[in-house]
Amino acid sequence: MRFQDAAPDARAVVYAGIQSDPLVARAAELLADATFEQRLLARAVMNGESTDAGTWRAIFPSLFGERTASPPAVRDGSDEILDVSLAVAERGEQARSQFRGAIVESLTELLLRRRHGHADGRSVRRERRVLFDGVRGEIHPYDVTVEVPGALAAVDCKWGARGISADVLHQLEDARAHAADEDERLSVVLVVFDAARSCAVRLDRATAPHEHTRLVTLESLDELGASR
Amino acid sequence: MEPDRAPGVIPATVSAAIAITVDALESLAALGEDVDDEWQYVQDLTAAWRDRLTALEVIRGDDGIEPTIGAAIVLLADEAARITDPHRAIDWLSTLPQVALASLGERP
Repeated sequence: MRFQDAAPDARAVVYAGIQSDPLVARAAELLADATFEQRLLARAVMNGESTDAGTWRAIFPSLFGERTASPPAVRDGSDEILDVSLAVAERGEQARSQFRGAIVESLTELLLRRRHGHADGRSVRRERRVLFDGVRGEIHPYDVTVEVPGALAAVDCKWGARGISADVLHQLEDARAHAADEDERLSVVLVVFDAARSCAVRLDRATAPHEHTRLVTLESLDELGASR
Repeated sequence: MEPDRAPGVIPATVSAAIAITVDALESLAALGEDVDDEWQYVQDLTAAWRDRLTALEVIRGDDGIEPTIGAAIVLLADEAARITDPHRAIDWLSTLPQVALASLGERP
């Protein structure tokens, strides 16, 4: 079993431009240290209709209200998250969809680096394929991989529960099973920037195998960066 | 979609806030059903979140809420009512109840 850079196709080249946009990195940095409710703010704004900051401040009184119990640092963070989320929302429908996906991937990478980061920067990678002896390689690379011996992982990232599809579940499970065939332990993880309840609804009717796929949702994102 | 409630009425109880949220949820579901491939998911998702909101109402329905929270619920429902794209409506079927529950001091 080995990891390999994915050969960039036309889609990947275009998407790489989104991934490298400073707005994506800024959003990921802010969301990595955000509270659950701040992440929920980002989700709502990036997918909402209104681009009026005042409207969103009023919808989240616990973050922005005069009587909010949040400390000043959290309030400042809420302001910054609102700003970047509005910047994404203002990009237009097609672009915002790509930005949202790129932000979840970047956030996942950032959190995993906190846990597995090594000085060489090669422990946590993006857009990598996992190859197995005698097995035809998957076309689609994994969004994020952890390439630390003893903690190998392939991670796919989704903006919403609706993005959980049979293809995604099969690819993750196949990778895990092929790794096991080679006596390697590969964790397979699905990070979804949505509520666990919505993901459970999606998975309830999924016939694709997912018993061994770890699900990380909006409520449990911090687990990605937690120390072992 | 126009909200099916009297304009300017701010809910003063958890029960009233949930009623507004459930109305908005069902309007989003009606729009999301236009995506044929996701019809079942829309039904399941709507039911799951309606159940969560109803469960909260059973426990805290009579609790009063501050005007800022009531206003937040109304604005949230208004925001949902602005959605015209069925795909975005499906995404909001999940977002709307989470935000409403957070406003009411609950986890999703």
